[in-house]
Amino acid sequence: MILLQSSPGTSLLAGLGILLFIIWLFWPAKGGIAWISRLIQNNKRALMEDALKFIFDCEYKQVYCDVNSVAGNLNINMDKAGRLLLRLASLELIVWNRQAIALTDAGRSYALRIVRIHRIWERYLADQTGIDPAKWHGEADRIEHYVTEQETEKLAAQLGNPVFDPHGDPIPTAEGELPIAKGVSLSSLHEGEFGRITHLEDEPKSIYEQLVVLGLYPGMEVYITDVDDKKISFVANGDECVLTPLFAGYITVEKITAAPVQKQKYPVLSSLKLGEEAEVIGISPLCRGLQRRRLMDLGIVPGSTISAVMRSPSGDPTGYRFLGTTIGIRKQHADLIFIKHPLSKEHGYSA
Amino acid sequence: MSNNRTKGEDIIAAANSARWELGTNYHDSLIESIYGEASRISRNTVKQKGDKQAYSFDLKIDKIVTSRWLGFPIMFILLALVFWITVSGANYPSGLLASLLIDTLHPMLKDLATTIHMPWWLSGVLIDGAYLSMAWVIAVMLPPMAIFFPIFTLLEDLGYLPRVAFNMDNLFRKAGAHGKQALTMSMGFGCNAAGVVAARVIDSPRERLIAIITNNFSLCNGRWPTQILIATIFIGSLVPAKIAGLVSAGAVVTVALLGIFFSLAVSWGLSKTVLKGEASSFSLELPPYRPPQVLQTLYTSLIDRTMIVLWRAVVFAVPAGIIIWLVANIHVGDLSLAEYFIEWSNPFALVFGLNGVILLAYIIAIPANEIVIPTVLMLTVLSTGMSDIGAGSGVMFETDSIGNTASILHAGGWTLLTGINLMLFSLLHNPCSTTIMTIYKETRSVKWTLVSTFLPILLGLIVTFFTTQVWYLFHG
Repeated sequence: MILLQSSPGTSLLAGLGILLFIIWLFWPAKGGIAWISRLIQNNKRALMEDALKFIFDCEYKQVYCDVNSVAGNLNINMDKAGRLLLRLASLELIVWNRQAIALTDAGRSYALRIVRIHRIWERYLADQTGIDPAKWHGEADRIEHYVTEQETEKLAAQLGNPVFDPHGDPIPTAEGELPIAKGVSLSSLHEGEFGRITHLEDEPKSIYEQLVVLGLYPGMEVYITDVDDKKISFVANGDECVLTPLFAGYITVEKITAAPVQKQKYPVLSSLKLGEEAEVIGISPLCRGLQRRRLMDLGIVPGSTISAVMRSPSGDPTGYRFLGTTIGIRKQHADLIFIKHPLSKEHGYSA
Repeated sequence: MSNNRTKGEDIIAAANSARWELGTNYHDSLIESIYGEASRISRNTVKQKGDKQAYSFDLKIDKIVTSRWLGFPIMFILLALVFWITVSGANYPSGLLASLLIDTLHPMLKDLATTIHMPWWLSGVLIDGAYLSMAWVIAVMLPPMAIFFPIFTLLEDLGYLPRVAFNMDNLFRKAGAHGKQALTMSMGFGCNAAGVVAARVIDSPRERLIAIITNNFSLCNGRWPTQILIATIFIGSLVPAKIAGLVSAGAVVTVALLGIFFSLAVSWGLSKTVLKGEASSFSLELPPYRPPQVLQTLYTSLIDRTMIVLWRAVVFAVPAGIIIWLVANIHVGDLSLAEYFIEWSNPFALVFGLNGVILLAYIIAIPANEIVIPTVLMLTVLSTGMSDIGAGSGVMFETDSIGNTASILHAGGWTLLTGINLMLFSLLHNPCSTTIMTIYKETRSVKWTLVSTFLPILLGLIVTFFTTQVWYLFHG
């Protein structure tokens, strides 16, 4: 314990050093503990499973797959990718047909198992935790390699056997069944057409994060207003969005006809002034999991009448009255509840 | 393949593929239709009368207690009033219990032990150790809790407390916490164990954990007397006698505010790091005002809160009392175990501006913060060899006057820096054993119990270390 005898200046410095070390150790995502746990998990099996998953994904989307694309997807060099694929081939999980790679039945069923685990965990992360949407995929990628099938099946039962992951991808059944991919790319829609987003591609991460930032999500209904070579413009939930065809290619939609798509923006609950009354239209799918269930349990469902009655002296939250009770709701959540003002019209108030 | 399947399996397979066709939001549609149907039925069958009127009266009260100008002042005045009633009201019964249990019953028990020729060590362990520690905890803990909890529960029953949460939520939202944490924090000023139990009102898992872990930063009833005593001796004495009271009170309030600051800062840190992934939701019920049910409130707050907390404290106080007596009386060679520890830990403690006596006192007085000062006094007398003061080794005591306490502490080598650091460490150290056990019972998680126990100690050591080293830098 040199610290005990030294001058205050040196011990201050030593103390600061120790403090910084502790902070570094516990720093989320980039700290020492996170670094060590990453090191432990980045093993061979994880890489093989990731490769199988990727090859399966290519097969499902009917895209060509070779050693190049595998190396690119797993972010490893060509040599390493080649060795990895040789090993998979020797385990009879894939067949190498000249350049193209295809799964064997055994490989496909292995891949489907991993995909099922991955998507169920994504569903869980979206519904039952507070983890950021942009991090679901990465987190599930980490989990899928070490949880057992039994754990996952237990979790699936607890979640009510979900059939879609939060990106809109179908979850394979435990028997390995998966519906045929359908829907078209958003970039193939024409001006004046309606569609419902069924899927946002979660890889590459940078593009997915952009789509999330734009507020797009599966289930959202869109109306195409303008298409040309460089951009595609559409209205979604009343918001005008413009995407490049590259980005639009990562969004899958199903065409809908004669859609009740809202062409102008819905007013939100937070815009309600004190004393005003409105009717709830719905809760944005951006409000998920526990918070969504809570609001619906309290009675915020389409058709209920709601009025703003009091506001905290600090400006947030606001007390809303519905179904005979008063509930305080924060602005961040009131921003996600859509309303219309039916009563103001009936009574001749100015809206 | 399909030939091998039974009819049942076929149906399940068909149902599964049908669910894919249904899409993602059929759960929502289900809930919507249930509510739609329920409200249709109630519209057709239920008649309502009178509710509008009663509610408009509620609204008038709400307009006042949550108004921009009056909301916060009303809140602070009411809470200050609650604390004032607790502190001033507890003085007399506490004194009464102390004179009965400690000054009267304790010597009587000792006399009885002598008459029946009980060996000195047995009467020491049982009467000076176990009994005295238990008596001390009851005398200082019971009265404030028996006053504080009922008043707090009455305010809750009246419907006012949810409005406090409503007013304070913005601040707590910025710290990643729930507005109701304002309530568990206030409850923590009475007793941390009760504050931890009170966190049940927070229904969001993440915010509830945050409220539980940070409750210890509310300076509890057991620590206020320590703070006031040390502030009077070491900080009040720095200024002229006329303003000494005011300055030492200011110092104590500063420590309490520092506690609130740490509570919010740690909440923020936790919500951004280790608790980031926990599920979270917010909604705040603002129930109608109603006349409180006084008798029922008295009963539940006395039985459910006061007695349970007191019982847990007593359960821990008995073994701790025995240990306190034993470490002061078991000798190896010339020195007692306590003296060995004090000498051994002194160099380490000095780096943090504390001393071995304080460290040992905080370890063995874990059942209740209330017995830290009596333990410190006993250990100081023991380790400095002042045989003429106190009630014998291993027997906790308090002096008749602050002056006497001050002279004992000065003789023990305490300086202004020791005083300041003790105040800081009293705020930032592990919760008492009662609270730790309560945290385990509430979270059912060893991990979060350990975090709640060791995080404050870590912070306390960091804060006292830097205070001490910066102090030496300027006064060295």
